[in-house]
Amino acid sequence: MSKQLGFLHNSEKCVGCRGCEMACKNEYQIDATPQWRKVFQLREEDFSLPTRMFFSMACNHCAHPECLRVCPVEAYTKRDDGIVVHDPNRCIGCRLCTMACPYDRPQFNPVKKKVEKCNLCYQRIDKGEKPACVAACILGALELVEINDSLDQKTGVLKTLPGLPSPKITTPSIRFIGPKQGKQIRRD
Amino acid sequence: MKLSRRKFLGGAAAAVSSLTLFNFNLLTNSPPASASDPTSETMKTFRNVCPRNCYDTCGMITYVQDGILKKVEGDPKHGYTNGKLCLKGYAYPRRVYSPDRIKYPMKQSPRGSGNWTRISWDEAMDTISKKILDLKKRYGSTLPICLDKYSGNFGIVHYGIEGTMSSLGYTTRALGTPCWPAGIDAQTYDFGTLYNNDPEDMVNANYIILWGQNAAWTAIHSIPFINKARERGAKLVVIDPIVTSTASKADLYIQVNPSTDGALALGMARYIIDNNWVDWEYGRANSVGFDEWVDYIKKSITLDWASEKTGVPKDIIMEIAREYATTKPASMWVGYGMQRHVNGGQNVRIIDALGVLTGNVGKSGGGVNYGHLETWGFNYNAMINPAPKGSKGFIGPDGKEGDRNINMNNFAHDVTAQSDPPVKMLWLACRNPGAQDPDTHAIEKMFASMEFVVTVDSFFNKTVEMSDIVLPATTHFEDWDVMASYWHYWVGINQRAIEPLYESKSDVEIAIELSKKMNKLEPGSCTFPTSGTPEEWLAKEFNPGILKMLGIKDYKELIDGPRKANMPSAAWSDGKFRTPSKKIEIHCELAAKNGLPALPIWVEEMKSPVKYPIRFITPHPQHALHSQFQNLDWMMTTNPEPKVEIHPVLAAQYGIAEGNMVKIYNDLGSITVKDHLTRTTSPNVVVSYESWYKNSNFNVNYTLKATPSDMGKQATGNNGVAFHDNFVMIEYG
Repeated sequence: MSKQLGFLHNSEKCVGCRGCEMACKNEYQIDATPQWRKVFQLREEDFSLPTRMFFSMACNHCAHPECLRVCPVEAYTKRDDGIVVHDPNRCIGCRLCTMACPYDRPQFNPVKKKVEKCNLCYQRIDKGEKPACVAACILGALELVEINDSLDQKTGVLKTLPGLPSPKITTPSIRFIGPKQGKQIRRD
Repeated sequence: MKLSRRKFLGGAAAAVSSLTLFNFNLLTNSPPASASDPTSETMKTFRNVCPRNCYDTCGMITYVQDGILKKVEGDPKHGYTNGKLCLKGYAYPRRVYSPDRIKYPMKQSPRGSGNWTRISWDEAMDTISKKILDLKKRYGSTLPICLDKYSGNFGIVHYGIEGTMSSLGYTTRALGTPCWPAGIDAQTYDFGTLYNNDPEDMVNANYIILWGQNAAWTAIHSIPFINKARERGAKLVVIDPIVTSTASKADLYIQVNPSTDGALALGMARYIIDNNWVDWEYGRANSVGFDEWVDYIKKSITLDWASEKTGVPKDIIMEIAREYATTKPASMWVGYGMQRHVNGGQNVRIIDALGVLTGNVGKSGGGVNYGHLETWGFNYNAMINPAPKGSKGFIGPDGKEGDRNINMNNFAHDVTAQSDPPVKMLWLACRNPGAQDPDTHAIEKMFASMEFVVTVDSFFNKTVEMSDIVLPATTHFEDWDVMASYWHYWVGINQRAIEPLYESKSDVEIAIELSKKMNKLEPGSCTFPTSGTPEEWLAKEFNPGILKMLGIKDYKELIDGPRKANMPSAAWSDGKFRTPSKKIEIHCELAAKNGLPALPIWVEEMKSPVKYPIRFITPHPQHALHSQFQNLDWMMTTNPEPKVEIHPVLAAQYGIAEGNMVKIYNDLGSITVKDHLTRTTSPNVVVSYESWYKNSNFNVNYTLKATPSDMGKQATGNNGVAFHDNFVMIEYG
């Protein structure tokens, strides 16, 4: 593998607008239930002040993808650029991958009786375009990045957020910039 | 383990073999693993503009292949929305192709039964025309017909709905705007009209106050401009009763007591005057009543009072007063929520005056920004039709014959109150009073008393449920139109990207059909033209003034991209105010004539009654625009059910825990909804976001009285609704 592409999500910039989530749906005209990308609200009780803070997550294109490891029909492949691609034509809908993924990102589609997930818009990337979610992010909170040491050495770049599974399980290709709270004048 | 896995796979293989009969991959338009290819030769693109009642009015690019809308994107040539849409915008394909769309004209018998039958357009037009002619014969005029149209589609050609009514004769009209009229009047009294700086100009601000404005949910495309200012060091202050997503990002969030925003602004003004941070030169040169207001503040306002009233500590009032007055230019954005109170317009007038006091009006990077209608100077050709010869109208107080205007914001009451002649038939288009009007029970009762109700819509919403006939509306992808914004300065064309689906028609096409039928049954009974393609109707909306403002010679140039109006970036930078005195009217005689204080003085907020001590605030939702979008399957997946946000302290008082069903009620009605305990609200305010969920009766307006806000009548015909002066009790439901 020559490199590892992934996402950098910035909770300081993200307002949880869910544009990325819907841009993904729009790009692939995904059925109602599967959410390839999903915006999560960070738990209010984890902050000193009540707040609405978010992170956005799709498939993390892990360095050690559990989905790929458990798939009995080799529906998963990992490209040279690190993108984990799921092939619906091979998928038999057994859902071993949905059970294996610590992030719950392979999504079972009850209509098609198969699993689907984010393929990091590899067709767009191959044409030199940004993934649909990144292109749609109004606040520049979601970026396509190369996961490497120089990224990890930058100040403020985190490998995980509170409440997420340990990155040691699958070495996910996602990095975070944590939320920042301002001052609040409250009535309670 | 091995065994169980094999067994599991065996079951899965059986499922796969049955799938071969129905290969869903073959049935779908775009296989999930492959993006629709925008470079494909058969892919066509069109320009559209989102026509919803929203600040952002986004430029869109629509991808169409073989007549099918494949996806939407933001228009990169739109300088404000910058090639990006919001979550609602990206959900549009699901709206266009929703299996729930109303596909054909249908009739319901009896009304409210849910017993709908498909009818032909001919039968629909025949039934409607005969009813109109029957009412005209019985009452000697078309005044028994009442139109309620507002903001479902703000496209200019959609004013053809009003034109439909005009072409039939004089009718009864729901007049007003529910959303923002108190603030409009406030700015009308102060400056002559509402007129905000170009929102892109917020990049030049050194200090920004969002006053009751949740841009993250309602004007997301403004945030990058705010962030650019912040990158240069500007401070962002958000004043709101709720810690919104926008407030969560602020440098300083201030949880003000609802409806006391004016008291906060007066406290700030007092501190600014005490420290002589006043821009005397600007104020005295550009306004009338400036010193009179300063005297009022010196005599009547103290910081202790302001702090007590607003719940904001004195030192914080002093801090933001100093910063606002001395960090110039400072921009204020006044949201629509904060004026939905019985003193809402007055609070906006006080904030306007604070902007004048500090010389922040008329400056790039400044302004007291609320909205504008500067780019809306179209012909409204589709709206203007003469009444048929011999039409009898309503004689107004000015002695002129015309339409009979009733209050949109007290619609149920006003429809019922008409007696000479009574209202017998409703025509609804771009409007869902069943979901959006106050006092839902009164609306239901009023609808039930009608002889005939026609609704034009795309979905079987609450209003459609109360109708006799529903006519299927096109989506904006199926129409030609032009859209302006009430916030940014861009105007864009909306092309017909796909043919109208099923048997849907645009409002103008419906008017054409109605006119044909009316004139066949009774020649001369309808003046609406019976010809013209949708694009020809669009073309008739442009005039030299609007073309010049957009810097184009022909409307067709808009097909190459939206255009920004040629206007200065700062509103009122020319100092030519549009008031009677041509100056900012801090002292406003017109306000006094209308029974309001002439000066921006404090007016008391509504107090909670003893029996209903909790304020129920029902702001705009994230996943919907009023009753649009939330019913779509993509939205129902990401936001499946409504919630009420309750402060844990309040919840504990009533024995309510997270995830309980909670009954919210008062003497008018009740709703029961699941709760979410959060400290983003305060202990005496519960919050639920208005929306129409699929297969749900959730509606926040059952407890809301039709209490008018203090202003609106001057510029919009009627005062607004004090939506946020809604007082309730809660219990474990």
